[in-house]
Amino acid sequence: MSAATHRARRARKARHGGPVAWGFALPALIVYFVFLVYPALSSLWFSLTDWDGLSAAYNVVGVDNYKNMAADPVVRQAAINNLIWAVVTVVVPVVLGLALAVALNGKVRGKPVLRLIFYTPAVLPLVSVASIWGWLYNPQYGAINAFLRAVGLDSLAQPWLGQDSTALAATMVAAIWLRIGFPMLLYLAALQGISPDLYEAATVDGASRWQQFWHITMPGLRPAHYVVVALSVIDSFKVFDLIYAMTYGGPGTATQVMGTWMYFNVFQYNQAGYGTAIAVVITVVAIVVSIPYVRSQTKEHAI
Amino acid sequence: MIDNTFSRRRFLSLGGGAALAAGLAACTGTGSDDTATGGSGTGTKTLRLFTYEDNSTIDLLKAQIKQFDTQNGTTTTVDSLPGSGAAVYPDKLRTELLGGSGPDVWRIWGGQIGAPYVKAKQAMDLSKYYQKFGWDSKINQAAVSGMTFDGIKSGVPYIGAGIGVWYSKAAFAKAGIAAPPTSYAELEEANAKLVKSGITPAGLGGKYGWDIMRLFEYLLETSAGPDLHDKLLVGAETWDRPEVVTAFTNFKKWQDQKWLPDGAVGLDPADVELWYVQGKAAYTLTGQWTEAQGIQAGGKKSADFGVFAAPTAGQPLRHSGFVEGYMINAKAGNPDMAAALIDFLVKPESQKAVKVTSSVVTGAEPDKATLPLSYEWSQGPGRQPFYTIQDQALPKKQADQYFAIQSDVLQGKTSPADAAKKMQDVIKAWDKS
Repeated sequence: MSAATHRARRARKARHGGPVAWGFALPALIVYFVFLVYPALSSLWFSLTDWDGLSAAYNVVGVDNYKNMAADPVVRQAAINNLIWAVVTVVVPVVLGLALAVALNGKVRGKPVLRLIFYTPAVLPLVSVASIWGWLYNPQYGAINAFLRAVGLDSLAQPWLGQDSTALAATMVAAIWLRIGFPMLLYLAALQGISPDLYEAATVDGASRWQQFWHITMPGLRPAHYVVVALSVIDSFKVFDLIYAMTYGGPGTATQVMGTWMYFNVFQYNQAGYGTAIAVVITVVAIVVSIPYVRSQTKEHAI
Repeated sequence: MIDNTFSRRRFLSLGGGAALAAGLAACTGTGSDDTATGGSGTGTKTLRLFTYEDNSTIDLLKAQIKQFDTQNGTTTTVDSLPGSGAAVYPDKLRTELLGGSGPDVWRIWGGQIGAPYVKAKQAMDLSKYYQKFGWDSKINQAAVSGMTFDGIKSGVPYIGAGIGVWYSKAAFAKAGIAAPPTSYAELEEANAKLVKSGITPAGLGGKYGWDIMRLFEYLLETSAGPDLHDKLLVGAETWDRPEVVTAFTNFKKWQDQKWLPDGAVGLDPADVELWYVQGKAAYTLTGQWTEAQGIQAGGKKSADFGVFAAPTAGQPLRHSGFVEGYMINAKAGNPDMAAALIDFLVKPESQKAVKVTSSVVTGAEPDKATLPLSYEWSQGPGRQPFYTIQDQALPKKQADQYFAIQSDVLQGKTSPADAAKKMQDVIKAWDKS
């Protein structure tokens, strides 16, 4: 065997791993295939059928379910709602989370307590969050309308969850409250990694706080931005539970998102084939959105 | 013609591969003999019952089932999902059945809510058990028809509930209402008096659609009359007609006149339905269960409340009603024992022990001393014919479209005339096959 062949083999082994490496990876791979790949392929298959979700038999209908989605007005509305949801519930919590992280990273009295307060909503069960906000929004007895009436803003008191015009925005407020803690925590961790020397040097050079933020803090948080934004975007496209518990997709279909509409079709309307087609579309969108994140992580580890 | 009908089993065998299937079976429990027999009843003496019995009565049910187990040497597990309503419980049941570990016996609503389980052959044909236990002669026949699907008796009725007006006597007295209204016009007058006295008349919430629907179906019964109402529900008459427009117009009037809570469309029925007990509303539209689970569970006396049938001009005076019953898993390991359990539960003494307020079993009428209002209902309006509650008359998809139209009307987004047209479109598109 030539030295060149031997080197090539060693390089291939280094890149793809040897039998021992594959042996170690095997249990995880089995779990991955059984619980992720196989169900995903099953879903893809069922999206090409008219399965009702209960019967043993079904017919293959090709891409009819996907064609029907194009003509479904609720899918259109749900997609728009998803888009609005994604933009608002990513941008607002990320910006507020960053602001809180920067504020709490400095010399603030009661820092641990404040961190706990801001992160607590993130650990609450979503159904509890939905109940809390449901009570706050109650048109007659809720705290929000009571406050508005108490300060003389009676005209602003609304049936927040009971009208199309405010229902989606009202659920997004709950989502923002819930999700601020996650970016705040990640940014706080990332801020610890920025050397204080950089700020000292910048201060000596006469840089203002604002300039320090833009030229030291923001570049220093770049890896955290990838993680926070990518995970928030993926999370926002998967939205289901908060909408389901707070509005049940209503009033009418005003707050339907792709996740809830998929659920209604699969589990309530006996249209599992159609609902699964919606699920496939949600998955494809989530994958496309997560590509930049995965690539950034791969690059980072490759360096 | 190419046969393009597949079964899930065939797909699994084609697509899964032996190793994957073995892995799945090992990891999830599917594909084993356990699944083939279904339910939890692989042994001849093990049963699982799934219900949505309320927290206030679940212990009574469990006590009865324990008695059955003692008599028969069985072990029956009872799982309950109380308060979830017809919007959630069927999903859980469906998921369990698809997961291969469905219950042996489950409680379900009749009509279009129970129908999918029969159509999918998940529920057993119980004809032979009807004969064996003589259920036809013991159980109200109207209720039996509510658990009969395309001629197949796949369920055994457990309760037959009627929707009436349950009200607070104090609220009526404060508003100067001396007696329950006997016509729709009188009900409107009563509403006006209640608003004037500072209380919301009807505590109804539209979050899931079905609660506020009880008002609309009453308004439709009032404007259309019994014959036309029945024909509308099966699509035998067009909805695009003056009687339906009148019902939608009155529906909007209830919101505009503040006879419903502000923003009723978004309110959760679980929060609103008991407002009449808590003094936040004068009445609600609900069934007999509210006496045990609402009034008495809330520490109030039945004597402080009353019930009457929502008044219409129709003869006979009908109310909305529905049936709930038990089904047996088509794959139950021991269907004979499951049927024996159901037979035990529909015996008059068992029904009385569980405090069933709306029994369909002869000899199990509500106890006059402990449930006076339920008894009053059973002896009066309960004896009158009823129309099928609309969320059981229509499949879930059509019912949700119906609710969406109602929501649009209440918000003023759709005119009553357009709502009637849209409703006709919904019914027209309903594939009854």
